[in-house]
Amino acid sequence: MNKLRLTRWLVSLPPTLFLLLFFAAPSLLMIVTSFRYPGEFGGLAPLSALETMTGEGDSGLYGLTLETYHFFFSDILYAEIFLKSFAVATLTTLICLIMAYPVAMLIAKSEKKYRNLMILLVVLPFASNFLIRIYAWMIILGPESAFSHFVNNILQMLGFEPVMLLFSPFAVIVGMVYVHLPFMILPLYTNLEKHDPVLLDAAQDLGANRWQRFWLITWPQSLPGVFSGAALVFIPVLGMFAVPDILGGTGDILIGNLIKDQFLGTRDWPFGSTLSIMLMLTVLCVAGLSMLLARPRTSR
Amino acid sequence: MKIRCALTGFLCLLAITLASCTPADKTAAHSANPKDNILRLFNWNNYISQETVERFEQTCQCRVTQDYYSDNEELLAKLAAGATGYDLLVPTGNAMDTLIHQHALRELDKSQLPNLKNIDPNYLGTVFDPDNRYSVPYAYTITLLGFNREKLAGLGLPTNSWAIIFEPKYLEKLKGRVTVLDSQRELMAAALKYLGYSANDTDENHWQQAKALIIRAKPYWAAFSNTSYIRELAVGNLWVAHGYSNDMFQAAQDAKKTGRHFSVDFTIPKEGAVLSLDSMVLHQSGRRPDLAHRFINFMLEGQNSAELTNLTGSGNPNLDARPYIHTDIVANPAIFPDAAQSARLEMLEDIDHTQRRLLSRIWTEIKLR
Repeated sequence: MNKLRLTRWLVSLPPTLFLLLFFAAPSLLMIVTSFRYPGEFGGLAPLSALETMTGEGDSGLYGLTLETYHFFFSDILYAEIFLKSFAVATLTTLICLIMAYPVAMLIAKSEKKYRNLMILLVVLPFASNFLIRIYAWMIILGPESAFSHFVNNILQMLGFEPVMLLFSPFAVIVGMVYVHLPFMILPLYTNLEKHDPVLLDAAQDLGANRWQRFWLITWPQSLPGVFSGAALVFIPVLGMFAVPDILGGTGDILIGNLIKDQFLGTRDWPFGSTLSIMLMLTVLCVAGLSMLLARPRTSR
Repeated sequence: MKIRCALTGFLCLLAITLASCTPADKTAAHSANPKDNILRLFNWNNYISQETVERFEQTCQCRVTQDYYSDNEELLAKLAAGATGYDLLVPTGNAMDTLIHQHALRELDKSQLPNLKNIDPNYLGTVFDPDNRYSVPYAYTITLLGFNREKLAGLGLPTNSWAIIFEPKYLEKLKGRVTVLDSQRELMAAALKYLGYSANDTDENHWQQAKALIIRAKPYWAAFSNTSYIRELAVGNLWVAHGYSNDMFQAAQDAKKTGRHFSVDFTIPKEGAVLSLDSMVLHQSGRRPDLAHRFINFMLEGQNSAELTNLTGSGNPNLDARPYIHTDIVANPAIFPDAAQSARLEMLEDIDHTQRRLLSRIWTEIKLR
């Protein structure tokens, strides 16, 4: 028994160290950065120059300041971006769930020999680079594409104005759903595969119809899979900047784009760090919430 | 069992490769060794002709390795994150300004650069480096308007003014067919120029006016785009784009090569525009300043410098290069502007961190509204 525990420790030590080193350390750096002054030419103002810096505005202690937090909370604009990012992430998660559930069920119910092939097909898109796949969507949704013509022909027949598919919120959602769909399918499949078919038979014997069997038996059992899939989709979408950059129009800025801007164009590391911390806090809240939601169902 | 054997074999192989890699890397790191004849360039994407590189390799009996960046922010961010070992960088004026203030650049030894005389004096002594202690002009681009000539002629729209991307009365005919640069400084500069201010104006009221102008025009624009407009213009999806002269040159070439029934053209708006002069500078971390000097002098030769312009359509500050440049490029006033147009061009200067934060705030509002 003792030996087993030792082995377990030894095996889990490297990953734990890895997490500590590459998650905790950068996070700490980020927290410290958010309290410092931006440097004149990007980066951070040196701590030694704090006398000159503090002369300008609020008095910082040891070259540290709350000005970025003040800046963040004194402006409704940043709250709006957070809200908008949340809306996009929620919508993407819901669409992914609706699309992934039937696929995961189909895979879980297929014969065993086909399952691996189907899983392979689900993850196959990962074989090509993410950016290339997004650029492919640019071509598919472009104004001269067959798909665009098809959609606009139908709209015109129904008497609507033709629309621009590319560079729109619609294109952003399409891109987001496309990229994150496998992250919803896989946890759902691993959950659905474990369900005991005997329960469904029993429900049928007791007179439950198809719909009742799904809502009363399958769906409650699959909730842990739904929540882990939702977390795997929601959290990355919240921080995504490449998809809105490439497929989005003039108004599609999300929190990820704003953070990227702070580190590149604006060279304002402290404010970028503050935004990242705010994002991380909200993500932790969401993760905590989804854990809370998932727990009582599993213990039932 | 078989699998385990294969795995062990693979791991052994990996260990051997790694082990054999390390000493080689070490020698590369200690390149005080004179046998190690490598010039390390950190340059823009597609900003030197392959033939030029090969010819230099032959004359110097050395090797040239290149890494690339696609904007100045990327260059600065990579250097700030600790990228080292580059002998030569090609930053634009304001990024060079930052590098000079960070003491990241090495002073030039002009006795090794006799060809410096070839450079047009108008491009020497910029505000960023008044005595050219650190920098030698390489090439320039102008931020201007590219457009689908036939489409715009058909719609009867003017092409010589920023009005076309800012005035709703023109934009109504172009809805969804216009992109502007996804760059805070460049787009603000265009708006400020249109309003009659300097591109380097930092008056907050003027910035607010520019913001209002941009927000009014935004509903008509398709997107903010830094690279994809090249293809979209050449294919015909876009009719007007705010972008860089060398990108417009490429779009025009692409449209011509693929035999489109329209042509892409570009002009400098009459209100003036932004000039980006890229210069060769030596980075402090470079190990071969001798090779870097030779390279700069080599690139200052007319023929070598001309190859870049013939390839990319970039502006060329080298007077000696003119005879080697294709005549249609020399004749293009959007690449080689006349004196009157040149007088209306401005180079972007760096702004301080409070102004940067304010601009970012304005930019966020522009994007969100």
